Amino acid sequence: MNMARVRGTVVATQRSDKVDGARFLLVEECDQSGAGRNEYLVALDLIGADRGQLVLLTQGSSCRWTFRTDDRPMDTLVVAIVDTIDERGVVTYAGQG
Amino acid sequence: MVLARVKGTVVATHKSPTMEGLKLLLLEKIDPVTLKGKGDFVVGIDSVGANAGEIVFYVTGSSARMTDTTKGKPSDATIIAIVDAIEKDGSLTYDKAAVTEESAQRAAQ
Repeated sequence: MNMARVRGTVVATQRSDKVDGARFLLVEECDQSGAGRNEYLVALDLIGADRGQLVLLTQGSSCRWTFRTDDRPMDTLVVAIVDTIDERGVVTYAGQG
Repeated sequence: MVLARVKGTVVATHKSPTMEGLKLLLLEKIDPVTLKGKGDFVVGIDSVGANAGEIVFYVTGSSARMTDTTKGKPSDATIIAIVDAIEKDGSLTYDKAAVTEESAQRAAQ
């Protein structure tokens, strides 16, 4: 799984994904300390992530292994909100939560 | 999912029978902040009725076969949504309604 930072939302009413009640987020890919790489993706959010939060992305066919995305055309999913990251015993990222 | 702008259509008459009836679109990946093209193109199959000039996003890999249009078809890039608006850090970087209105005004002048 890759880490990404929530930067905003993408609105799309004409869609073929058939997933209701979920929204699309604009996320920026990040390195292991949470710094942005200026590469953006659109991700489906099932957990209610907010702008600025560091999240975990699941990509590829694994995205379809949730009840709401089963058999749906989805390849980028926000599956978790990161609280802390430590690298060799040093905390490199600590979220607001 | 990857954001891209529809730049045109791709026509192919000699193709696998499983590809019959699918609409191929030429897509250029864009930066969601500047909306500029990255010079990186891909051919995607349309499942939502996208037109040239519109911003869309597409799925890749096995997920590209999961729409009603591409079920059982050899697609590895399928457009699944037409973008109405992109918001970054609280401000709109793209608003389709505003862009459409602007071009209509230009045409009227």
